[in-house]
Amino acid sequence: MTDFDNDPKPIKTTANELNKDVIKNTVSRRSAIKSGLALMGGTAIAASTGKIANANTPDPLITEVQDWNRYLGDGVDARPYGMPSQFEKDAVRRDVAWLTADAKSSVNFTPLHKLEGVITPNGLCFERHHGGIAEINPTDHRLMINGLVDTPLVFTLEDLKRFPRENKVYFLECAANSGMEWRGAQLNGCQFTHGMVHNVMYTGVPLKYLLAEAGVKTAGKWVLPEGGDASHMTRSIPLEKCLDDCLVATHMNGEALRPEQGYPMRLVVPGWEGNMWVKWLRRIEIGDKPWHQREETSKYTDLLEDGLARRFTWVMDVKSVITNPSPQAPINHGKGHTVLSGLAWSGHGKVKRVDVSIDGGRNWKPARLDGPSWSRSVHRFYYDFNWDGSEMFLQSRAVDEFGHVQPTKDALRAERGVNSIYHNNSIQTWHIKPDGSAENVEVS
Amino acid sequence: MSKLKQPFGFAIFKAAPLLLLIFGSNALFANDVEKGEKLYRQCAGCHQVGPGASHAFGPQLNGVMERVAAKVEGYDFSSAFTDAMAPDVKWNASSLSAFLESPMTNIPGTKMAFPGVKSEDDRASIIAYLAAVDVDGKLATTAEAAISADESNTEKQPRVLAADVEIPTHGVFHLGRVALAEEVAAWDIDVRPDGEGLPKGSGDAVAGGIIYDAQCAACHGDFGEGTGRWPVLAGGLGTLTDERPEKTIGSYWPYLSTVYDYVRRAMPFGNARSLSDDDVYSVTAYLMYLNDLVDEDFELTSDNFVEFRLPNEENFITDNRSEEPYFSGAVEPCMTDCIPGVATVSQRARVLDVTPDQN
Ligand code: HEC
Ligand code: HEC
Repeated sequence: MTDFDNDPKPIKTTANELNKDVIKNTVSRRSAIKSGLALMGGTAIAASTGKIANANTPDPLITEVQDWNRYLGDGVDARPYGMPSQFEKDAVRRDVAWLTADAKSSVNFTPLHKLEGVITPNGLCFERHHGGIAEINPTDHRLMINGLVDTPLVFTLEDLKRFPRENKVYFLECAANSGMEWRGAQLNGCQFTHGMVHNVMYTGVPLKYLLAEAGVKTAGKWVLPEGGDASHMTRSIPLEKCLDDCLVATHMNGEALRPEQGYPMRLVVPGWEGNMWVKWLRRIEIGDKPWHQREETSKYTDLLEDGLARRFTWVMDVKSVITNPSPQAPINHGKGHTVLSGLAWSGHGKVKRVDVSIDGGRNWKPARLDGPSWSRSVHRFYYDFNWDGSEMFLQSRAVDEFGHVQPTKDALRAERGVNSIYHNNSIQTWHIKPDGSAENVEVS
Repeated sequence: MSKLKQPFGFAIFKAAPLLLLIFGSNALFANDVEKGEKLYRQCAGCHQVGPGASHAFGPQLNGVMERVAAKVEGYDFSSAFTDAMAPDVKWNASSLSAFLESPMTNIPGTKMAFPGVKSEDDRASIIAYLAAVDVDGKLATTAEAAISADESNTEKQPRVLAADVEIPTHGVFHLGRVALAEEVAAWDIDVRPDGEGLPKGSGDAVAGGIIYDAQCAACHGDFGEGTGRWPVLAGGLGTLTDERPEKTIGSYWPYLSTVYDYVRRAMPFGNARSLSDDDVYSVTAYLMYLNDLVDEDFELTSDNFVEFRLPNEENFITDNRSEEPYFSGAVEPCMTDCIPGVATVSQRARVLDVTPDQN
């Protein structure tokens, strides 16, 4: 595809050039629709409508009757499970092949730059598997509770559905989100730098009810959830957290969990590293000490510059990123009124405030938080301003309700060095050029 | 505008004989029927198969592999589909596979509003299943046996009167059932640094080397150095403060119990839980040997296990991020004139150029 690429077009000035552009976009778009091939319409269309406002020639999209204005579309049941519009084909999860050896132990990224609001659609929630996607028939699934309990128990999914359940929206962020950026700007797009986060409404049973059913012995202090996939994922979690707000979820955003998110049940550990949210959950053990499993020793420990390593760094600290504009979503409309949009979250609680800078952190203005503000859920922010067309260095900085401030990259590196891999919650910079294109940069 | 896709019949069927060669023989099919039956569930919403199958939103697919495309009686195909299949296209492994990859782009205007099956393997399995269904909707007998065995455990139980259900005595809500000792033993395989959870047994590095060479070295390298991007398991001692630290069992991991536990639960990759407890002792001993922690004839047992300490154990500390200045909660962030001068670029992502292409 050459017409519908994401490369920003230079901003045209004369009416003639504008008209050519409109016509070109219109024609190619119509033939594309006719052939059912239109893949990438979004950007080009947005760009052309912005320019039409100034044009002198009537817009054929308005003056002529279009196919979809005349002919009938599909009836009901044509799409038994509805899918996004065919013009949204690039709103998909994507991976970075060189990161890992094998797709079955790998990761892909949520297209944050394509999303609005605070809820991540189920099909776009990033995936991270250690042994591929387990396909489990729910009637074949069992959940066991054992260890320091009065009565070791086995539950089926049907049993689980008879416990009182709750609906809660939480973000899940992989501890390695932004991990490729420790040494410097590397990946060009917020999907890749920040896309290991999603935000979902879970329906689930509070873990404390399941534990009470088995009866935790007084010596019990730690909990080990285990997955039923081929990696048998395990993590040690303090009992306190499990009694506080953990859920065993069966549903996400109203429907059964997706297989890639742990169908038929997963653990929800609000505000804490995604790795702990064990998918395909099949066992919960109670013990008096942590187990020091592979994912809390070899992995998910944070190596510092002096060779010491932090362990049990569970909470995901306060963080934010501007999703639009960003390298995959350049500004196509030229100067004038501009809406900047982004996401902010904190594993400690609610986000209190987000500040935005357009000059690389010299001056900051408070952004507008919009939508629901829930503890340990993603918050949406906007900053509306009049772009004068000159280059910008966009940054966002979140502050949570406890006063934790999102640090700069330099500040974080000064404390930790560059080999921590995990928990990089530093401030991101996008360089917006005079043609509206954007690049991941660092500034001094 | 870049080139329009060729009309379907034109682009794909010209290539059919070639594709057939690639696809190979019927042997491919037999093994795949069972998997194909499962994958077919994504088609079942629109296409019926089986005895008495009738047309639904899509045509019934009994014996479709014996059919000429777009010709089955009593179904009103779209003109786009009929045109693409004219004059007579016979369904076979290659034509069906090509069509199923992306029906809507292959035949613009088809009524089959289905994004397609991207994996070639999955398509082959679905086709194998469809090939096993004859015109009367009967499944070839061997295939049927395999599938019904699979489905027998999901068969509906006769309904029981609610009042006859016995309520267990445990807990608050009296839900679930008591786990049996054998069940707990089968799943509870975790091992702690203090040795809790270790099974009785032993194994030596010599035996471990044989298992390692056969089952681990392909990915992790003959000496634990890792092939390609597969994980490195040995070496790297003293590199933790280097610019590029190498984190291995010997250089980084705090506890030996984690090696035993992890290999037993997750390795070899793709065949987890296949090693015996003694095999895991042997492989663990061999991984210690590869990390220069023991001699090549070393024997690891459930009795001497907890004596061994890994070199980096002392270098792990608990989370103290809250002491870092920006998280202390005491600082009000600066709002104006925070940094002198104008911003200049010090690092650019484009230079590295490691971002995947957009299309
Ligand atoms: C959303 C509904 C839908 C789904 C899902 C669907 N199909 Fe179809 N399929 C159709 C329709 C409708 C047609 C008729 C095409 C037309 O007239 O344009 C069709 C046609 C076909 C044909 C041609 C039949 C013939 O007699 O020539 C085959 C083969 C086929 N589909 C196989 C599949 C397979 C295999 C799957 C699953 C991987 C699948 N379809 C999924 C709706 C669907
Ligand atoms: C097909 C390739 C493959 C084979 C064969 C294989 N492994 Fe692995 N191994 C992996 C992958 C992939 C991982 C990382 C898995 C993940 O992401 O969770 C891994 C992880 C490990 C780790 C943890 C590494 C770390 O730094 O955390 C150990 C230890 C290990 N394997 C041991 C073994 C042993 C012992 C065998 C043979 C019995 C074996 N592996 C066979 C692919 C393989």
